Amino acid sequence: MRPFSRHTGAAVMGDPRLPTLQFAPFSSALDVGFWHELTQKKLSEYRLDEAPKDVKGYYYNGDSAGLPARLTLEFSAFDMSAPTPVHCCPAVGTLHNTNTLEAFKTADKKLLLEQAADEIWESIKSGAALENPVLLNKFLLLTFADLKKYHFYYWFCYPALCLPESIPLIQEPVALDQRFSPKQIHALEQAYDGLCQTEGVSALPYFLIKYEDDVVLVSLLKHYSDFFQGQRTKITVGVYDPCNLAQYPGWPLRNFLVLAAHRWSSSFQSIEVICFRDRTMQGVRDIAHSIIFEVRLPEVTFSPDCPKAVGWEKNQKGGMGPRMVNLSECMDPKRLAESSVDLNLKLMCWRLVPTLDLDKVVSAKCLLLGAGTLGCNVARTLMGWGVRHITFMDNAKISYSNPVRQPLYEFEDCLGGGKPKALAAADRLQRIFPGVNARGFNTSIPMPGHPVNFSSITLEQARRDVGQLEQLIESHDVIFLLMDTRESRWLPTVIAASKRKLVINAALGFDTFVVMRHGLKKPKQQGAGDVYPSHPVASADLGSSLFANIPGYKLGCYFCNDVVAPGDSTRDRTLDQQCTVSRPGLAMIAGALAVELMVSVLQHPEGGYAVASSSEDRMNEPPTSLGLVPHQIRGFLSRFDNVLPVSLAFDKCTACSSKVLDQYEQEGFNFLAKVFNSSHSFLEDLTGLTLLHQETQAAEIWDMSDEETI
Amino acid sequence: MPLGLASPRPRSAPSPSLRPRLAAVGEQSALSVNMEEDAFLEEKAFQHYCAEFLKHSQQIGDGWEWKASKDSSDGYLCKTHFQAKATARSLPGASTEEGETWFPMERGWPGLWDHRLTFHCSCPPRGSEEALEVPSDDSEVPMTAAATEVVRYEYHVLYSCSHQVPVLYFRASFADGRPLALQDIWDGVHECYQARLRQGPWDTITQQEHPVLGQPFFVLHPCKTTEFMTPVLKNSQKINRNVNYIAAWLSVVGPVVGLTLPLSYAKVPSQDE
Repeated sequence: MRPFSRHTGAAVMGDPRLPTLQFAPFSSALDVGFWHELTQKKLSEYRLDEAPKDVKGYYYNGDSAGLPARLTLEFSAFDMSAPTPVHCCPAVGTLHNTNTLEAFKTADKKLLLEQAADEIWESIKSGAALENPVLLNKFLLLTFADLKKYHFYYWFCYPALCLPESIPLIQEPVALDQRFSPKQIHALEQAYDGLCQTEGVSALPYFLIKYEDDVVLVSLLKHYSDFFQGQRTKITVGVYDPCNLAQYPGWPLRNFLVLAAHRWSSSFQSIEVICFRDRTMQGVRDIAHSIIFEVRLPEVTFSPDCPKAVGWEKNQKGGMGPRMVNLSECMDPKRLAESSVDLNLKLMCWRLVPTLDLDKVVSAKCLLLGAGTLGCNVARTLMGWGVRHITFMDNAKISYSNPVRQPLYEFEDCLGGGKPKALAAADRLQRIFPGVNARGFNTSIPMPGHPVNFSSITLEQARRDVGQLEQLIESHDVIFLLMDTRESRWLPTVIAASKRKLVINAALGFDTFVVMRHGLKKPKQQGAGDVYPSHPVASADLGSSLFANIPGYKLGCYFCNDVVAPGDSTRDRTLDQQCTVSRPGLAMIAGALAVELMVSVLQHPEGGYAVASSSEDRMNEPPTSLGLVPHQIRGFLSRFDNVLPVSLAFDKCTACSSKVLDQYEQEGFNFLAKVFNSSHSFLEDLTGLTLLHQETQAAEIWDMSDEETI
Repeated sequence: MPLGLASPRPRSAPSPSLRPRLAAVGEQSALSVNMEEDAFLEEKAFQHYCAEFLKHSQQIGDGWEWKASKDSSDGYLCKTHFQAKATARSLPGASTEEGETWFPMERGWPGLWDHRLTFHCSCPPRGSEEALEVPSDDSEVPMTAAATEVVRYEYHVLYSCSHQVPVLYFRASFADGRPLALQDIWDGVHECYQARLRQGPWDTITQQEHPVLGQPFFVLHPCKTTEFMTPVLKNSQKINRNVNYIAAWLSVVGPVVGLTLPLSYAKVPSQDE
């Protein structure tokens, strides 16, 4: 590629064979800190004020090759007294921040450019630019900040005055070391550093140069006449050059040549330019790659009017248009919360459990039936694991006693009769972490022994409630049973067993709890014949225990250990017998264990079908990266002790036995209604429990105390 | 002739904000790390090592600065580094001389229109790009500045009182301010460091607000710093050589996020010998 275009404009000049000088424009570089600071200013200081503001940027001549000539604005851009970074040159600018996108679009860019150009022109005419050459490097920044979306629209302008003709190159650019001896280069370096030191700065934007043999002298623009004294055929100037291209000078030279043409052109015939590039790599300083060339400034008679100006920056597409940057990722607090939560979880992966499959946990859709003490604690622990999809179902309202034990509620939530728990809980999750997808359903769960057939209205309501529960269970992956009564767990146990969903059940006594996963029935398409054995088939050679190596599909549910069908457990009991009175720490322990059990199950390659770990497995190689996958965790707070019992599915279970599931799957709501409306005996008759009662005298053998010894 | 190491640039001077405080610190006697215990670093020692580190940085001109916090007595070391992201093709005739190899990059020319830009650049929606009538400008080098392909890396070294070690804060963004994700930063790391990404201290990256700037940064969590610094310092003590804690530590953690230290840092004798 030819570095110099021979465009048609050359025809105007005296010698059309000479190539003309071209300048590489600045490329805007905005630190994210600049946008943070603009946001702060807009919100707390500017508000609706659209008046132009002074801002400050800088450019650098020491970049490594390949980088464009940047004009950088940082968070310090708004502080006009902030120091310019060492060895950088300042550029002062004007910020026009509009209140609307419309105002941004319709802003008169031509006028803005003309105004800025005029200021530069005035500083050239008045000589102010000789005293303070920074005035030659003005810029404009037009912005609109959409602070709802964290979208920033912006357009930079680096006003450059145009000479009426192109500038012919007498000597094409070459690297400085092709024109200067090493001694001269060193002398230039020394002279430049000396002048910087005298001036108390670390960089000089423009300077005058004289050289002869090994002597190089530099001086400030304001000393022009003393320094060059009288007519010369050629003068030499230095410009601090941010450009890295071997054939072109950067933008700052442009207005300087206009200044030279206007103020000095009568005193010389040609001007030699050293584009001063000053790079230090690995401790080695290098200015030899600076470029040097010679131009003849067109002889022009300036009118007092400002010459034509250019300078709006092209956008990334190369067109004359603004740019837009979307910073929601690093500025939207909601997005930040999400990425921080994710990173924190990954920390666990990276540091401690490299094989942890976080996606399995994070993507699990969890349905929490009950938004009381257990529900609140389960939800918080799920959030801690980064679970994004949490749904509550509860029909209670928040009462004055709740907030102290139920960490999603506050005193205010109890006022005016109390907010519905499910809705308030979902709302609070959203406030704790906006990245969560939380919903609440203020719905009752019909229960066995709680008749729904008082009227057609109550029956229809029950039908709707069942329908909603069925639909919710269908659309979630893990069902948490966190209610305060036994019988309310029956319906979701049946539905979830039928739909083959993982059920995590937590229940509290006063100082005891059980956290368990329900056995996960084999998928329906497989033969159901061998799924519910009436006797355990554990072969004796597998281990000492009858309960070793029980696969997930053979595990029992919450009701499998019972020899009575669920009924109305709240009737005829004193308040402290109604299950809900427990040691306050218990719900947190059990709630946390419920989630951790879910996570361990999900980490097992077989998920809910995983063989149950028992207390005896505590010394064995754990089946997952997180350890054991128990069937149940039973805790005794009085002894601060947990045990991990395993129990088999019971073929006469009133909830998960094939008899019940078959009935439910065949008759649907009609079957369920019969259960709701009947006494215990209906389910007990159906499953054969009645018969069992007659056969067995000592029901106590099923008591929990036996299992502790497992 | 370029100046060698022996003759440092005369124009460098410690930043004024740092000088008085660090001068006082330099007179402290018990600055060395306590080798009996784990290699914790007291705050005064941190500042002392930072000052020494800066002194050398200013000699070799690799761009480290001390930024004083506006409303408290402390501050932090920082360095900003720009890197042209590799582009697919290179322009014939364009300068392809090798730049600083912070980490090796493909040769390329940043002014080139790269098809990958369609991913990176966020152009304004249709309609906001109203045509601007510009007078023809023959004096501008015709190039589309693909500034979005320039990546700005920022490294900040702060002191953690709770862990008593230095902490590395870092972030990277394109020229318009869009941040690079951690994965993008790591994708840019030379393959010889890729194995180190999944182990060592790099498995402890979090995202935090910068204590001084209040802006989100990636943070190399300091919980493992003492663990890997203790053997380094113990060994240097064994061979009776003072090392600058900051230099030694940065040379361990830096390369994995594109920050390398010139070897000369290791050759500088520590002043508290």
